Amino acid sequence: MVESDRVMLNTLSGALKTSKDFELLSTYRDFKSALGQSSIYNPNLFLVDIDDAEAFKTLPGFVEVFPNAVILGTLSEWNADFAYKAQKCGITGCIIKPFTPQDIVETINLYNKRGKSEPSRIITFFSPKGRAGRTTLAALLALDLAKKSNESVALIDADLQFGDLPIFFDLEPKHTVIDAAHDIKLLTPSAFAPYFHEVTKNLYLLSSPDRPEYAELVEAQQLVDVVRMAGHIFRYLLIDLPSGFNPISLAVSDFANINFTVAMINTGLEVAHMKRTLDLFKARRGHMHIDYPIFTRVNPCTEEQKQKLENQIAHHITEIFPNEYNLVSIANSGRILYGLPQDTLMMKTISKLADEIIAGKL
Amino acid sequence: MAVEYSNVKQGLSVAGGHSGIIISIFSTSSGNGKTITAINLAAFLAKEGYEVCLMDLDLQFGDVCDYLKLTPKYTLAEAQKDFESDPEEFNAKNYLTQYTHEDLSFSVMAPPKSIDDAYRIDVSAVEKIIEQLAGFDFIILDLQAVFSSLNLAMLDISAIINYVGIIDFLPSVKNFKVGYDTLIRFEYESNKIRLIENRSNSQKLIRGEDVERLIGERFSHKLPNDFQSVNKSVNAGVPLMFAAPNSPLTKSFEELADSYLQPQENSSTHIEAAEEQPNRSILSKFMGMLGW
Repeated sequence: MVESDRVMLNTLSGALKTSKDFELLSTYRDFKSALGQSSIYNPNLFLVDIDDAEAFKTLPGFVEVFPNAVILGTLSEWNADFAYKAQKCGITGCIIKPFTPQDIVETINLYNKRGKSEPSRIITFFSPKGRAGRTTLAALLALDLAKKSNESVALIDADLQFGDLPIFFDLEPKHTVIDAAHDIKLLTPSAFAPYFHEVTKNLYLLSSPDRPEYAELVEAQQLVDVVRMAGHIFRYLLIDLPSGFNPISLAVSDFANINFTVAMINTGLEVAHMKRTLDLFKARRGHMHIDYPIFTRVNPCTEEQKQKLENQIAHHITEIFPNEYNLVSIANSGRILYGLPQDTLMMKTISKLADEIIAGKL
Repeated sequence: MAVEYSNVKQGLSVAGGHSGIIISIFSTSSGNGKTITAINLAAFLAKEGYEVCLMDLDLQFGDVCDYLKLTPKYTLAEAQKDFESDPEEFNAKNYLTQYTHEDLSFSVMAPPKSIDDAYRIDVSAVEKIIEQLAGFDFIILDLQAVFSSLNLAMLDISAIINYVGIIDFLPSVKNFKVGYDTLIRFEYESNKIRLIENRSNSQKLIRGEDVERLIGERFSHKLPNDFQSVNKSVNAGVPLMFAAPNSPLTKSFEELADSYLQPQENSSTHIEAAEEQPNRSILSKFMGMLGW
């Protein structure tokens, strides 16, 4: 254990010494002596103080010397920037001080499910207008990512007025994104995790509220805080945004690694919406390349048609999806978890997209 | 094109005492046919000889001008800007664009050209602008599918709220129900809200009657499905009466427009919810979820 505050060091080590589950090998006040001397013990768990930004210089060294150890950064209070930096250094995760041995066990379990010790991939789903297939794509991609990556995947329904994810999965979760936004300032990663409802193996959902006016109660910044802490807990985070440009869709998509912009071909006027959207995002993002356009219900769903659309919007298109009639009846019956035919072009395209995300190609 | 407004009748309309009647078209999801309804309603009322102004209040992604192939010189953004800088001299009619095809003509207030401008639209300015348009017999508002302060203010001043839904998809039914309940919770009179079912006769797995029982209210109008005619109309940039004069959908819009020319019924279309569900169908399960 590395802890610069002597009082805190006494508190934390005292609790660990009385625990049957842990054997405290050694305590240090500073990183350098810890890194130099720990090798004689072959420890499998490090609890290292990351309240001081200096810690991030030494952390990669720990990861290199002890690749099989669990390394938890300890923080006096939740700090999304520090937590992100710590995961970027390759450590397992964070825990908030003071903590009990039981807290450590819970935290380790949380990160065991999470997967690789790397920052999360945050994927947002934006559409200029509703009824574009945005939620369907988010749900199907999340299912496929959970299945293939064997890492934890979370869906956040940030369409606060008309969120459809709970009905897609035929769920009625106890907690909603509104509760999370209210409580976020008081939460720690391990306290926040139970707000997510386990949909299936590796897939978790933070649901939207059932009344549109509750959306009024949430500030964009609170939702950003929710997203940042959730990103710490889950390896992949998929967020269904409300339609159109609003404080929430803009603020949350700014934090994405990938922002899928989804429009459905209907009367054809949607092509102009896509162009307008991409132009605005381009002006907003500067050099950041995170916006990936997707058209749904493209008929015929061919490479030729894709090129035609690309010419119209003067932008590369990431994917085009065909119309999938079966999907409506499957989603209507809440059977999306079980009933999707895998051999359709729709599902093959989803699968390809998931592979590319896992491989880091997007 | 900027408009000459000398031909617009000022003051009270001669046509049966209709003046400044505000009809809004609202839904809880886009792609439900709001814009098509708004345009064709405006067209049929104009054809009857009324002065009609259609306002596209889907500020970010409004389709009225793209549909009618209009290239407005001024939009709501310029109207608001000029109103704010000089309210005394401001005349809302100078910011309208005239749509004319053959002998049909009505006015359009275009949405802002840039999304930044759309962001800056202020509710009270829009209210003042609409006040100045009261000389029109009918003002049709094409709204965005969201509960926003602008939309609530527009629903407040509307004589009739056409609440449009396509109910082929369970999430859409949920949102239709949630939206209706919200309108009632916000104390809009149920008499003022007209439920309109779009694509009522298309192949679908959810029956209109089940949705009526779920909502507790009957559809006051049903629009038949005619995707081809709609596409023809959009491609040609003309209302359905020109693109597909014989389509049942065209006739249905004409009937809807005519219904505003009759004295409005006061009798509620409220129906009692079914006492019990014989089968535990998806919808009844769904009713349960919503606390029925």
